[in-house]
Amino acid sequence: MPRQSRFSFRSPGLFHALFVLALTLTAAPSLAQPADAALYATGEKVFKGNCASCHKPDKDMTGPALKGARARWEGKGDIYAWVRNSTDVIKSGNPYANELFAKWNKALMTPMAVSNEEIDAVLYYADNYAPAAAKAPAAGTPAPAGEPQEVSFWPWVLVIGLLLLVVALSLGGVRKSLNNAVREAEGKGPLPDRTAWQGFKNWVWHNKVFASVLGLLLLTWGITAAWDWALTIGVYGGDTVAHYKPEQPIRFDHTLHAGKADKGNLAINCQYCHSGAEKSKHAGIPSANVCMNCHQAVTESQRNPWSNAEIKKIHEATGWDGMAYTGTPKPIQWVKVHNLPDLAFFSHEQHVAVGKLECQECHGPIDEQMDQAEQWAPLTMGWCIQCHKDKEVKMAGNGYYDEIMARLEKDEKLGHRELKQYLEDEKITVKELGGWECAKCHY
Amino acid sequence: MRKPHPTAVIPALLAAALLQACGGDPNSPGIEYMPDMYRSPSVEAYVDPGQDPYLVGEEKAAAQRSTPSARLPVAGTVPFSFDPAKAAFNFHYPYPATQEGYERAGLELKSPLPMTQPVVDRGKVIYDKFCLHCHGAKGEGDGSVVKNGNYPPPPSYLTILKDMPEGKIFHSITYGKNVAMGGHASQLDKEERWAVTRYVQYLQNGGKLLRDTPVPAADSTATAAK
Repeated sequence: MPRQSRFSFRSPGLFHALFVLALTLTAAPSLAQPADAALYATGEKVFKGNCASCHKPDKDMTGPALKGARARWEGKGDIYAWVRNSTDVIKSGNPYANELFAKWNKALMTPMAVSNEEIDAVLYYADNYAPAAAKAPAAGTPAPAGEPQEVSFWPWVLVIGLLLLVVALSLGGVRKSLNNAVREAEGKGPLPDRTAWQGFKNWVWHNKVFASVLGLLLLTWGITAAWDWALTIGVYGGDTVAHYKPEQPIRFDHTLHAGKADKGNLAINCQYCHSGAEKSKHAGIPSANVCMNCHQAVTESQRNPWSNAEIKKIHEATGWDGMAYTGTPKPIQWVKVHNLPDLAFFSHEQHVAVGKLECQECHGPIDEQMDQAEQWAPLTMGWCIQCHKDKEVKMAGNGYYDEIMARLEKDEKLGHRELKQYLEDEKITVKELGGWECAKCHY
Repeated sequence: MRKPHPTAVIPALLAAALLQACGGDPNSPGIEYMPDMYRSPSVEAYVDPGQDPYLVGEEKAAAQRSTPSARLPVAGTVPFSFDPAKAAFNFHYPYPATQEGYERAGLELKSPLPMTQPVVDRGKVIYDKFCLHCHGAKGEGDGSVVKNGNYPPPPSYLTILKDMPEGKIFHSITYGKNVAMGGHASQLDKEERWAVTRYVQYLQNGGKLLRDTPVPAADSTATAAK
């Protein structure tokens, strides 16, 4: 388990609620209501349906910002004709239209079947555009709270042990002074002072059986604990150790990108970025151009306090400065999390394309909990072969196993007997088809 | 793994202290068993060759660590398959990533894949992984990224993009379109792009292999569909 304070500021919903409340309180009065709310709403609707793919009201994107477009066109031509069919206006030789055409990389705007009223509404909307109050992360999607913490009992054992020790020592002291008082009354000198070690030896001498049993038990427990600890060497995930969760050069949030849509996340398929998973040994870390498929348009985010800084890092890595390409990309040096030793072979393709496993079966709830990737599974051999033993092979419609099944069914003597053996537990497991052969993974 | 018995106080405390010492820092994986097998001198994806300082010395290891292991393909090369069924995908894609290339692709480029149910089914699998989150299940531009991420919505396949010819669809997937859609050539090979193009056409037809009214000739749509 990652070590995090249980009272992390990232976890509780209360802070979000307060934050949202504060935002609404501060933002609401400053939002100037447009004079004609109905026209504004119509404009917004038409804008979102027709223009938003390429235009933003207040910022240049594929096309120019629409704010002030009417003023810019003032006296230079017919803006309605321009919106409806820009190609014709350019062909007609309008100088301003041709200037714009050249400035925006000679990209043509899709002709729009819209009425003059609708264009008016859109331009009104753009001129009076006020961004909606910063969308706080939807209430249903708190930044993933640190995983439920396992309550460790060792500190309590230690405290209780110390308490017992104190009690034992003071009782010992009391007993000694009582003994001394008795001896004094009998006219004898006080007991000689003994070191703790001498006292211990004395006690052992007088309680041989108890001491040997206790010693034996302690030895056994010691060996067991040492064995358990030794089994965690070289294991970086799973239930017994803290998961390996290195800090990455860019803090990529899997919960935002891959999390479920109904929780307000983007629900991008894992394989959109890790597109190698289906056709290669490696799932692959996406090259930064895949990030830029969306992040050329997404330049800021309110999701996390650190989002904007991290998005900037992608732009730097790919050599973009805002909307301009600087030509000097800077490779990102990701830290590899999952590392199998060379002695074991593993292929994503086999498990994703043939085995039809979900990513989460080995990588854990990465889309729901991990705002920083971590190694969830132990990746030990025991873990691998346990799954190979239990997992039913998904045969239906899976071309990969057609041949082996055909062979088993054709051989009436041996094949049928084997098949019957496999199906004793009513499923064919990976192990039964050779998933426990040494050379499957070690060669 | 079973837990040690709760009364194993002293050795367990020692073990816990040891564990704490090596497992506390999430930036460090912890003790490695056989480091030479974890840090291979052979070339592996995302691990730079010879990065093990035990084997090559810290100086050389540091120099190699700063070399990017993910690289672009050699300029001018195309992926080649010896499978005769894939011969149609072996060639260089001739249209440049410009407005002119886009228009020319729309006029000249034709799909090597037939419009059949298996191709469309394969296209759907790819579409659901690579397109769905923006374009939406029916191509109406209402995917989860648009809805939850306030992303510029792509035009609908059913209205503005209804008559877009296959060449333009393929060109857009290859090089991207406008600012909002990036190129997907690094994620999908040519065959996959053509399969998904067929599925996009299937969506343009409203979920049918063939359109009720015949598709207009490509040239009349050259200006109508951007």
